[in-house]
Amino acid sequence: MSSALTRRNLLRGAGGAALATGVGLPLAGCGGDGGSGGGGGQAGGTVTFVYYGDAEDQKAYDALFNRFREEHPEIDLKFQGIAADSWADFANAVATRLAGGQPVDVVQIATEGQRIFMSKDLLEPLDSYIAKDQALVDAYYADTPEPIRRLLQQYASQDGHTFYMPGGYNTMALYINTDIWSSAGVEPPTDTWSWEEFRAAGEEIKAKTGAFLTAAGNGYFTDVMPWLLNNGTAPLSEDWGSSTLNTPEAVEALTFVRQLVVDGLAPEPGGTFDAPTQMAQGKLASFGGGRWPTNDLRRLDFIEPVQLVRWPENGSAGTPVGWDAFPILKMSKNKDAAWTLITYLMSEEFGDAVTTGGGATVPARISDATGPAFLDDAPENTELLVELLEVATPIPGPDRGPEMQMVIEEAWLQGVSGTKDPQTALADADSRLQGMFA
Amino acid sequence: MTAIAPPRVGEAVLDPGGGRQSRPAGLPSTLAGWLFISPALLLFLVFILGPFVAAMALSLFEYDLLTPAEFTGLANFKALVGDELLLKALGNTFVFAFASVVTHLVGGLVLALAVNRGLNRALSYFVRTAVFFPFLISWAAVALLWRYVLDPTFGLVSHYLTRIGIDPPGWFTDPAWALPSIIGIDFWHTIGYTFLIMLAGLQTVPSEMTEAARVDGANAVQSFFFVTLPLMTPTLFFASVITFIGAFQIFDPVQIITSGGPDNSTITAVMYLYRTGFQAFQIGYASAIALVVFAVIMLVTLLQFWGSRKWVHNA
Repeated sequence: MSSALTRRNLLRGAGGAALATGVGLPLAGCGGDGGSGGGGGQAGGTVTFVYYGDAEDQKAYDALFNRFREEHPEIDLKFQGIAADSWADFANAVATRLAGGQPVDVVQIATEGQRIFMSKDLLEPLDSYIAKDQALVDAYYADTPEPIRRLLQQYASQDGHTFYMPGGYNTMALYINTDIWSSAGVEPPTDTWSWEEFRAAGEEIKAKTGAFLTAAGNGYFTDVMPWLLNNGTAPLSEDWGSSTLNTPEAVEALTFVRQLVVDGLAPEPGGTFDAPTQMAQGKLASFGGGRWPTNDLRRLDFIEPVQLVRWPENGSAGTPVGWDAFPILKMSKNKDAAWTLITYLMSEEFGDAVTTGGGATVPARISDATGPAFLDDAPENTELLVELLEVATPIPGPDRGPEMQMVIEEAWLQGVSGTKDPQTALADADSRLQGMFA
Repeated sequence: MTAIAPPRVGEAVLDPGGGRQSRPAGLPSTLAGWLFISPALLLFLVFILGPFVAAMALSLFEYDLLTPAEFTGLANFKALVGDELLLKALGNTFVFAFASVVTHLVGGLVLALAVNRGLNRALSYFVRTAVFFPFLISWAAVALLWRYVLDPTFGLVSHYLTRIGIDPPGWFTDPAWALPSIIGIDFWHTIGYTFLIMLAGLQTVPSEMTEAARVDGANAVQSFFFVTLPLMTPTLFFASVITFIGAFQIFDPVQIITSGGPDNSTITAVMYLYRTGFQAFQIGYASAIALVVFAVIMLVTLLQFWGSRKWVHNA
């Protein structure tokens, strides 16, 4: 159960589904960027693109791809949104559709689902398509962050084959309300800061303003991983092959967060509240997030007092990272047309349109992520989300990832809420996780 | 539960066809009958019988949706026997279903009595609408709503409890409170349906009988227990059967509010089925669980019908 930031909000943000306000954007033609695909020639036919989102997002998607349709009348582009509760659930829903025989050509898949799809032999290697449009792909890679390409290669390629082209991503920073901090006479950190400094700031803030220091939820990406990674550990091993949830560092991290709750520096977990709203009302001094809270803060007209800072560390710096990526399904009957769509997703025009439209991920292209469309009307120091890639660890996506995520989130909630002591909560969860690896 | 009595001797039989045959000439009566029931039959075959047969077949396989299925015989059923989490899920589901049946029958009847007797017409319509309204809201919206309302810090309930000096419990984080909280939310959401059934049942109780009891000296309580309640038993029986069947399949609120936690204190049978099938991709095992759920519901329903002979008053 999440508290401050619902997983739903995060997930809407983490993918292209958050392209919502891109309706009517003046997209330039994709002809210059669009390749002809592995098969060569003008590929046509129906292409079904499955994305993370609901019916509400459908219009936005349609609008973003109007120009694509104009440029490629030979391709009948269809969208199918899946309104899942998590990326893991989304991957499950797609798998179920595939098993049901529904035609799917291109899927927006986040980190959590990328290896599962690859290991199930559902994806078409993109090597031949890349080779035919090498210049286009090279230009795209040159404008995407090296860590994303490296991590994609490490976790989502197999036997030297490339299956995915990367899309937008999210890292985790802390959004802070500088008004609350200055009211308490506390200076926000300018660079790295420690857990002790974070806690001391919270005590001052609580005493002088009554506001909570931060939210203490149990979201895998938004809460569990940032605290673990900033204490030198992670929920799973680097190869996602075993649990590391019961390490002393993990227990220490959970104990620290629990103590914030016990001392009244963080609200009791177990329900739901809207963190940006609470921050705008002066009740919450900070909360964690990637790009997506910016859209909420815009909605609340509360951009100016907010600043992004690094997550506090305890001897080690880190952030989770999740990115969406686009493969061609092996079952696709129009693979060349599907590749044409992917080249459009890689194009500068599409990147610009998504960024201008208020996408909730950091755009894949560096030129977009460091440009005014991304940084203007956004909290101060938003560029931190890109800088954090240097210390980023991917959110794990093992084969039984959805189940494992549930176990980890539940254990974290038990520890933070005090239902179980942190050591017991993590030891019990670790035991269940090891069983899933067996 | 309407009985259609045969026409008495000498009584005219209503014939909507004006004496003519209502089926096309030359169409055999059996074929016409099949045509009439074919829509319902088709729905039954596609959505009930088909999936049921498929579940029976799939339960004999190991299947992950994405790779070819492998026949494993009764292995999935053998695995069910030692599955502690399934037992836990069934236990939780029985507790939930029992609580749901009791609270809905009592609550629905009390509300219906209040509306049926004590209120003027305008107020009665208002209360009927107000009580039934939550039932019209989707479970997803209801679940999210209550997560906000019961938030331990910013929630409405916690706010007022704290103001009167009560420390709110961890509604969804304390294993002792999580299931009762779900039961309470379910009651709020679905009581309107039971209430309407009860109200309809009360309105079928002949006023002559309650008036006769009053003339014979029965007070209101005696009239209720010795006249109204016995005449309401068919309604109570119907409500208990459908409430149990619905409650035993509880899934949405648990999935959205607690995800089965904390410590599996709210995991239910259907939720476990979902997890097994669509998160662990053990479709064969999930099908076996589905058959267990079906068997339990059928067994309890048969028991309810058998027991009804002892307490349901059929006029």
